[in-house]
Amino acid sequence: MSEHNALNLIAGYSQALAGKHELERSGSDFYEVRGEVGSMVVQLHPKRLSLEVAEIIEETPTTKTLRLVAADRSALPPFQAGQYINLFVEIDGVKTARPYAISSSPTQCFFYDLTVKRARGGFVSGHLLDRVEVGQRLQSSGPMGTFHHNPLFHGDDLVFLAGGSGSAPARSLLLDILDRELPRRFHLIYVNSHVDDVIFAEKFRALASRHSNFRLAELITRPPEGYSGRSGRLTRELLQQELGELDGKMFYICGPTPFNDSCVELLTALGVPRRRIRVEANGAPKAPDQQRGWPVGVALDDEVQITVRGRGSFRSKVGEPLLNALERHGYFAENACRSGECSLCRVKLVSGSVFNPQEAHLRKSDRDFNWIYSCVAFPLGDIEIQL
Amino acid sequence: MRHFDTVVIGAGNAGLTAATALQRGGSKTLLLERHNIPGGCATSFVRGDFEFEVALHQLSGLGTKDKPFVMRQLFDKLGVMDKVGFVQEHDLYRLVVPGELDVTLPASLSGIKSLLQGMFPAESEAIERFLLVCEKISMEGFMTLPKARRANSEELLKATCPYHVQYGFRSAREVLDEFFSDSKLKNVLATYWLYLGVPPRMLPFPDLAVMLYAYAVFKPWHIKGGSQAMSTALVESFLEAGGEVRFNCGVEKILTDSGQVCGVRLEGGEQVTCDAVVSNASPLITFNELLDQERPPLAIQQDFKSRRMGTSAFVIYLGLDCTPQELGVTAASSFIYETLDEEQIHDRMGTLQPPLGGMLTCYNYEEPGAAPAGKSQVMLVCLQYGDVWKSVAPKDYARTKYEFAEKLIGLIERVYPKVRQYIEEVEVATPLTMMRYLNAPGGAIYGFQQSAQDSALLRERLDGVPGLYMAGSWTSMGGFQPTYMAGESTARAVLKQLKVKEVEHV
Ligand SMILES: Cc1cc2nc3c(=O)[nH]c(=O)nc-3n(C[C@H](O)[C@H](O)[C@H](O)COP(=O)(O)OP(=O)(O)OC[C@H]3O[C@@H](n4cnc5c(N)ncnc54)[C@H](O)[C@@H]3O)c2cc1C
Ligand code: FES
Repeated sequence: MSEHNALNLIAGYSQALAGKHELERSGSDFYEVRGEVGSMVVQLHPKRLSLEVAEIIEETPTTKTLRLVAADRSALPPFQAGQYINLFVEIDGVKTARPYAISSSPTQCFFYDLTVKRARGGFVSGHLLDRVEVGQRLQSSGPMGTFHHNPLFHGDDLVFLAGGSGSAPARSLLLDILDRELPRRFHLIYVNSHVDDVIFAEKFRALASRHSNFRLAELITRPPEGYSGRSGRLTRELLQQELGELDGKMFYICGPTPFNDSCVELLTALGVPRRRIRVEANGAPKAPDQQRGWPVGVALDDEVQITVRGRGSFRSKVGEPLLNALERHGYFAENACRSGECSLCRVKLVSGSVFNPQEAHLRKSDRDFNWIYSCVAFPLGDIEIQL
Repeated sequence: MRHFDTVVIGAGNAGLTAATALQRGGSKTLLLERHNIPGGCATSFVRGDFEFEVALHQLSGLGTKDKPFVMRQLFDKLGVMDKVGFVQEHDLYRLVVPGELDVTLPASLSGIKSLLQGMFPAESEAIERFLLVCEKISMEGFMTLPKARRANSEELLKATCPYHVQYGFRSAREVLDEFFSDSKLKNVLATYWLYLGVPPRMLPFPDLAVMLYAYAVFKPWHIKGGSQAMSTALVESFLEAGGEVRFNCGVEKILTDSGQVCGVRLEGGEQVTCDAVVSNASPLITFNELLDQERPPLAIQQDFKSRRMGTSAFVIYLGLDCTPQELGVTAASSFIYETLDEEQIHDRMGTLQPPLGGMLTCYNYEEPGAAPAGKSQVMLVCLQYGDVWKSVAPKDYARTKYEFAEKLIGLIERVYPKVRQYIEEVEVATPLTMMRYLNAPGGAIYGFQQSAQDSALLRERLDGVPGLYMAGSWTSMGGFQPTYMAGESTARAVLKQLKVKEVEHV
């Protein structure tokens, strides 16, 4: 400040200035905290994790558990039971990724178990099951997702409806309760197609027999001849009989999309309010053309031209989610949930139109200004986007 | 290597208005943002059926159609006025101390006056005078003070800013004490300190005066679609003008050549050259981490030494399966406090002890579009310094966060007892969340602590590195209006400088 300063006239000015000089004498230039934001945040939310496959556990004929540790063997970021990581892979030159729920207990921080079931026509699950070996390095996102127990309102009386590999997050939720001896009840209603393909069957049964707060109800939808266990479809009656009083319970649903839809329907019919039901995200819809708002005259097999502004263009199919198509052609967009929830894959639609299915949790302003979530966007004709 | 006239680091409010004004002003501009979405604080996120506003409670400075104020002009100039909708709020706030006080200040000067005069008849005349002083201080601050400062003239100051001369650097506490004797009345008028986090004893009186006056006269506003709608509209306007934006693209280094800014290096290694950089990131990050010099210029180190870390916030975003009426909401914003003792409240902000109060904003009370039909979008906030969270071990983080959230909800339940039973979605943000999304030291949401010593009147621009400009809450006041304005005025400074250069080159 110059010698003569008119502001001195202002009441309190000179005291404030003196105060500032005082602060200057006793303060620091914050140099000692440089890097602190980054290092604090990365402990909880790293953008990428470098992982190594430490062990591969055969679960069923279709399913393996990959036990992943930090490549440098350090502790992994904590997660809340039910959360997922997005696993980045390169398959025959195509870089892509898939989210997998962590199936291990959050009470230990040295490995994440991912339980991978072969998906029919799947691109990545086959790779993970057939080609990944112990010792292999993989990149992932940090743990994410909102499908977890929330003590602020979920309560202590939990019911988990799992279909097939939907038992992966269920196992994590269960182990969390048992390991920490939480005063919570966990009721797992576990639906599978085939008796010989029930993931964690023995483990769950053993735990159920030892812990009074864990109850297991199994159901096989395609029983072999002479099967003596419970079989058939999940029905209202069965749920009523299993669950008794529904008030105060929190419901978690995770399985194939048709399973999820029918569970929500059943619970709703039983009078469970929607706010007591949590459904795990499940990727892009397989049949977007069955959803409300799909335009007439557009078929999933129709060919379209996709142009990436300033970079190139390629042919694709209406039915292939935009993100997959981009990856297949060597383009990259950040992503994590691949289900329309996290918004990381948001891109600008410059021209043309896409179908945003109900999975796309777009912000109002995204809709207004033509930003789309590429993981669940279906091009309805030729489009141009900006990456 | 690609070249731009200007690179803007960060798409927070100030980064967005700077980039838009620069591009529209003829500077070829690249806007870089670490996250996948523009806005910084001014953003939203979706959970289930709800889109949650992250930060904006009340936008100031817009004015009404008949009585427009600076923000209308600014948004118009930036080409976004027709891209967003605004909704006026009718109250400043409801202040509740359970069992002691429950008062709602309307958004009008005459309304406030008659309400308070009715409640505190003995101080009727002082109330009238106080509100007048608030008005005068505000008008001087907007109109005459900047000029008097530039002229460095005592005569001009005396003639055009008499109220600043009398009150300009006194604390809000001191001035309130001078005017009033009833402590309740003082508390009601000082409530906005609970927004800012600087207790009245440290808060320069004009900061409080301007808030009261400006919100009462120019009204508090919501943005349709939330502050995210404004952020996205600014990007749209920026793109329309030919600007280039990249998301998921953090800046790693600001490059200099003989001390002058010459480019930036991006996450992933790519380099871009430019004549100027506007940084919307914290100056602490900008100078101590991004700048390619070992130590920032001395003047900047000195400036930092006289700063103190500002407050962060602990926030609970609630999607409720009930209407505002069922919840019992009677004003969009309520402050709920167990005590109004400023020292106690401020001390608590530095701990994980139960907070002494918090604020509840119900967004669909005045703007039904802010929540699905029959539901409510509610935000609970208590200000808190980020420091205590640094010592929470990662494995204890989630538990600590929920425990603290329990306490805040418990407090709010004293006025809104039904809040918990209707929860359909909930998300909790701590100061560490703010650190993550803002890349801000301390998770500070308004930058440095805004005490009298932080005042712009005591400081010069941080211009020690030619070509490097700062814009954001750290170098202006925090909050929406100040940061929107800071970005635009920084753009003007850059454009002026670029013009000079252009002329030199010809
Ligand atoms: C919960 C909450 C409630 C609030 N309530 C209010 C309120 O009611 N009223 C009000 O007026 N204000 C409120 N505020 C404060 C207000 O939102 C902020 O003061 C204001 O938005 C800050 O704007 P800014 O321009 O400084 O940028 P910021 O919002 O701080 O954004 C900075 C941007 O820069 C990006 N960035 C940082 N480093 C880099 C890098 N190296 N490379 C690329 N990008 C980078 C960040 O990702 C971020 O997007 C609130 C804030 C919060 C969090
Ligand atoms: S990757 Fe999460 S929304 Fe697309």
